[in-house]
Amino acid sequence: MTELIQNVIDGLGRGSIYALLALGVAVIFGVMHLLNFAHGELITVSGYAAYAAFSTGWSWYLVAPLVIVVSILTSLVIERVAFSRVRNASSFTQLLTSFGIHFLVSAMFVMYVGARVKTFSEPSWISDTTAIGPITVEVFDLVVIAVTAVTLAATVVILQKTMFGLALRAAAADFDTARLMGVDSDRVIRGAFALSGALAGIAGIFWLMRAGNTAPSSGIDPMLKGVLAALIGGLGSLRGAVLGGLALGVAEVVLRSQLPGTAAALTDGVVFALIALLFIFRPQGLITVSHAERV
Amino acid sequence: MRFKYLLTLLLAFSMVAAACGGDSSDSSDADSTDAGESDDSGDSAPAVSSGPAVDIDAILAVDLANCAEAPTGDPIKVGMAMDFSEVVGFVDIPGSKLVPYFADRINCAGGVNGSPVEVRVEDVGGDATTAGVAAETLLDWGAHFLIGPPFADFALPILQATNGEVPLFVAASTEPTLADIENNSFLVTFDDAGQSIAAAEYALEQGITRAFVFTQPGPYTGVNPDEFKAAFEAGGGEIVSEQTYVWGGDTDFSAQVSELSGILEGNEAFFSAALGFQVTALRGQLEGAGFDGITYMGTDALDATGIQFEDNADGVIHTPHIFIEAGDRNDQLLSGYADANGGEQLESRGFMGLYVDSMLLGIQGVNDCGCTDPAQIGAAVAAIEGFDGFSGSITYAGTNGIPPKAVPIVQVTGGADVLLETR
Repeated sequence: MTELIQNVIDGLGRGSIYALLALGVAVIFGVMHLLNFAHGELITVSGYAAYAAFSTGWSWYLVAPLVIVVSILTSLVIERVAFSRVRNASSFTQLLTSFGIHFLVSAMFVMYVGARVKTFSEPSWISDTTAIGPITVEVFDLVVIAVTAVTLAATVVILQKTMFGLALRAAAADFDTARLMGVDSDRVIRGAFALSGALAGIAGIFWLMRAGNTAPSSGIDPMLKGVLAALIGGLGSLRGAVLGGLALGVAEVVLRSQLPGTAAALTDGVVFALIALLFIFRPQGLITVSHAERV
Repeated sequence: MRFKYLLTLLLAFSMVAAACGGDSSDSSDADSTDAGESDDSGDSAPAVSSGPAVDIDAILAVDLANCAEAPTGDPIKVGMAMDFSEVVGFVDIPGSKLVPYFADRINCAGGVNGSPVEVRVEDVGGDATTAGVAAETLLDWGAHFLIGPPFADFALPILQATNGEVPLFVAASTEPTLADIENNSFLVTFDDAGQSIAAAEYALEQGITRAFVFTQPGPYTGVNPDEFKAAFEAGGGEIVSEQTYVWGGDTDFSAQVSELSGILEGNEAFFSAALGFQVTALRGQLEGAGFDGITYMGTDALDATGIQFEDNADGVIHTPHIFIEAGDRNDQLLSGYADANGGEQLESRGFMGLYVDSMLLGIQGVNDCGCTDPAQIGAAVAAIEGFDGFSGSITYAGTNGIPPKAVPIVQVTGGADVLLETR
């Protein structure tokens, strides 16, 4: 039982990162109805920026805000260079565009930086643990959970209490009507990409801290987790994205720990089977998203 | 060398038989017929070793600013089907830069017996179909032998393209199934079993009797731990746990550490084919759980991902292909490349000698058979013994294409590898 509780806490730590990634995916889907498969590239680019910063002697205290800034800028550049060109194209075209960005970014790093994994220092406290009764908890997991909670609260405030949030929600509900009502569509979309980039940046800090490395294909895993979590939660739902992320993280850790022997290698397969089961019974995901609820 | 000895014996026997005449005339005729055929075809009698085709040390000493007269003979064509994708680009990209550089040095020194060495590189692009196309392109170009990427996904389509008739050197591979001397496919270094058994034996000799492994079933990621397990248990050790993980992906091992906490004593050896950052991440989490006395061991993957430059890597033991010391051949090769290319430092230094050795082994085959037919070159390569290359001594004679090479066992100490022993 103790091991199971410990697994759940570990899973919540991992799931918190997924939740932040899924939030970013959900925000973009809410506004553009685009499943952004280039979302992971924000972490790839940020990872290389972090690597460059570490190479010049920066510490994590400086690198952490840098990762957020680079992630936001990258998100805005991708929107400007690619997605703005296909804004009125079909969903399929937009989807292909997001795939194209993913492959392009990866290939550019292979060509101009190198295919080899670039490693950097993890924070000194990354493996510190603390005891809560009989349970040993990684400080890292507690920090991730706490930061995620604060970020979620801040995101809710932005969406519920600011003009930008109002415009974003209006655009998500009915983009054309929102434009007719005077909402600046370009600004809303740029804002959505900036918010998505910020969320990916915060997730990226923890992702990179844990990984201690970056590579041209570093974005694949976070992209998959973010998109999966968003799908599990119910595409476009902020609450669903968080729930989906946490569920995915807990499922991964608990299954890997509890499956016997080498059957643990089937963890990802079992997770996907469970997701398939979920979609059989709840095709809309954990949370049903009505049009007005989006974002 | 063994073939040469046999050939000499046969020749001597046939001469004696011919001199004796009588009953032995049939075999004598047969022998002389064989010899006659060989002479007629010119390049159908391979594997008559004639010493090193290339004097490596002399080539390293060449001044690229003062080259000898350009060689004018028919070129020796070296085809490189390299994977520039992220999968193995970290070795194939620098390897494909270094081989043409060394070919330039050979040509600068006058070539091989008056023949220049030409290198053509084709990108496999991380795709099996493209790999086959790349190989076809190189064969159409007239490559005498090929140098291929290390993973079977891309090397096997190349083998299909060569149909076993053109020698293929899978430079950086430890995948035993890629070696097949009948199909002219050669490893240039030790295989998975070579490095994993060496690690297991070393651990046992250090008095370590308990070990745990991380595995991902499949070639390399699963084979190496399996080989380690078998050798460790055969030597009297006990494998206390076998955990699964995602090779190259996982860096959060909370679930595994949680399970291991109830199993480990803290004095075990850890072995896997994991990448450097994965081993240090696991180590951090295990140390966080209070296990400070574990000996971390790994394969050539640790060298590939630069374990030496990782934090928290001190004490990690691994098995690189080449242990480079200041001023040795490999150091001269890599610093020479850097000097000639604006200071560019190639990645994956411990793998680079394998690529140049691949080219030199092919050239040796061309030299030994005195022919240009790829199949005959392959037969000559298969007979090579004691080739002294950048990565050590290489022998194919009597093998299935996996050279029985010494395995360096090194330990990361203060951010650099220290050679513990070679076995």
